[in-house]
Amino acid sequence: MSISTSGSTSTSTTTGSTSDGKNGTMSATMTETTTEATRRPRLSGMTWLVWRQHRAAFWTILAAAALSVAWIVYQRGQMTDFLDGYGYPAKSLDEAGNEFQQYVDAFSSVSMGLMAIPILLGVFLGAPLLSGDLETGTAKLVVAQSVSRSRWLATKLGLAALVVVVSTTALSAAFGWWWNPVKTEATVMDWTSDAAFNTTGPVPVALTLLSVFGGVAIGVVLRRTLMAMVVTFGFTVVLQLVWSYFFLSLGSSVTIHTNKGVTADNSFPSLPDNAYVIDQSYLTGSGDLVGWSTCAGAQSDAAGELCMKKADVVGWSVEYLPMSQMSGMQWFGASILFALTAGVAVFLFVWGRKRLV
Amino acid sequence: MSDGMYAGEPALEAYGLGMRYRRGWALRDCSFRLPAGRICGLVGPNGAGKTTLLSIAAHVLQPTHGSVSLFGEAPGSAESGRRTAFLAQEKPLFRRFTVAETLRLGRELNPGWDQRSAEDIIRAGNVPFDAKISTLSGGQRTRVAIALAFGKRPDLLLLDEPMSDLDPVVRHEIMGTLLAEAAERGTTVLMSTHVLAELENVCDYLVIVSGGGVRLAGDVDELMSVHTLVTGAKEGDGVPADLAHHTLVESRTSGRQFTALIRPEGPVTGPWETDAPNMEELLLAYLRSPDAPPLITPTAQVQGQAYGTGAVAA
Repeated sequence: MSISTSGSTSTSTTTGSTSDGKNGTMSATMTETTTEATRRPRLSGMTWLVWRQHRAAFWTILAAAALSVAWIVYQRGQMTDFLDGYGYPAKSLDEAGNEFQQYVDAFSSVSMGLMAIPILLGVFLGAPLLSGDLETGTAKLVVAQSVSRSRWLATKLGLAALVVVVSTTALSAAFGWWWNPVKTEATVMDWTSDAAFNTTGPVPVALTLLSVFGGVAIGVVLRRTLMAMVVTFGFTVVLQLVWSYFFLSLGSSVTIHTNKGVTADNSFPSLPDNAYVIDQSYLTGSGDLVGWSTCAGAQSDAAGELCMKKADVVGWSVEYLPMSQMSGMQWFGASILFALTAGVAVFLFVWGRKRLV
Repeated sequence: MSDGMYAGEPALEAYGLGMRYRRGWALRDCSFRLPAGRICGLVGPNGAGKTTLLSIAAHVLQPTHGSVSLFGEAPGSAESGRRTAFLAQEKPLFRRFTVAETLRLGRELNPGWDQRSAEDIIRAGNVPFDAKISTLSGGQRTRVAIALAFGKRPDLLLLDEPMSDLDPVVRHEIMGTLLAEAAERGTTVLMSTHVLAELENVCDYLVIVSGGGVRLAGDVDELMSVHTLVTGAKEGDGVPADLAHHTLVESRTSGRQFTALIRPEGPVTGPWETDAPNMEELLLAYLRSPDAPPLITPTAQVQGQAYGTGAVAA
């Protein structure tokens, strides 16, 4: 058998007249696509592939985010209508009672949904993102093309991150905007609760991004979609628990001392609105702190007075976090989460160089 | 086969390739060279390391030992990625893509994409372009996967059991397309297969791997010419004395007839009928006797490889 290596550039003659008709339809389709291309930007290359592969998930996320934002805008309209009619903030909401309660409930249900986003996206977007390709073998198909696997990995992570950032930023901004008029009302949402802290500012974006990238890494290591989703669920839940336990220590607490005793009505120091009290204790003349229940066992006022005197209590020492720190704490915490996300991304690229496929 | 091709540029060179999985070695000290422009059959029993070898060349696996070079470049380099196409055994495709979208994948990701030849392969099988991959039959899916590999216009085509789920007619037709394309463009093809009869009309180069190592490698005509099939009447047990100074690949007795495949080291003397083996006889002989001394012809040797041993000077 002989193989001709002559550089023949003539078109194949086997595709004669029979395919001409089909070629005609083909070129018609091509023109159609071109006119479409002029109307809207067309994805190309790896971006097209990744978007095409995950478009159902991406559109679902974006559409759900858009619907939620619309719902939040509607809810905010309802609430501001009520507040305007009621005369807030001139009139305190304390007397509004049950009438306002439905607006408070709306906050808690929406914030609950927002707090579930990192878990949902980690499990349904992050975990299958690469494990699906590894399980079905399509990873082999992609790396057999002329594009490097790092490009593939970067496009996958980049598009997923883009969708996550766009949707969570929109939700976070909308929710923060809704909350803003009643931000100072602790009865609506306490700013130190995870319902408020984890759903506004950069925190939901950072938590979701780390959950999704963590899910991707779990999927790459396990190479099985279902198992990766289960493990990612565990990971994202643990991440939320650890975060909730830890986020209040992101602030730098303020300590205030008084010297007007502790029994008088106005002896307790006046704290800024919505300050979160971390610790409070009695301050003694020597500067030591004793527990505020020190003389709680006294039978009478006189006995209590005597007890205080004996302990040399001169005033209060209160350690608290002012609400003004909220934004700073959120950005500090989010930057830690972003750094962890970047670490996961680096791991993915290092792992992908050797073991991907 | 013209001698001029012997000096050809190597398309693929394997140097002491070893691959170790958790359960043991799939490939061990595997060295050979495949000159450019050849159609090479990669033959071996199940689990011999064929898929591992192709996967390493396609940069899907990293070898534990040794290295592969494709046109002088490492697998995974931009250059070799562009010049090599790989069709994995399971023929992975995106199930939710249509056929047209699958071809678009090839077009978007390969600079030298040839839409026309890819479409021709699809059309020849009457596969509708708007059908989802998940709705296609196994054979149609294979056709799409092959179109995707062909449309890339590679210089080296790595095919892992490409025809295993095609019926004989389609198999023949696809093989014809493959040969025509390869001939026209001078594509090098490395194709693993179980269908020995098919190789005879297709391949002009052979590599047999067995037990993780290369048993036989070289130009088909050359391999044929250095082997002789001898037959004669059976005389006692063991190898007859007048064949002892030849290299014996395999011997069998059926009834009173003795058959042996030998590599003659001189004229064959004695009461023997000698014949040139056909490719299937040659392959079967090597596949049945894994302990036969390996033979790697000079064109299939990489630098520093000793003749006929398969060992590489480290």
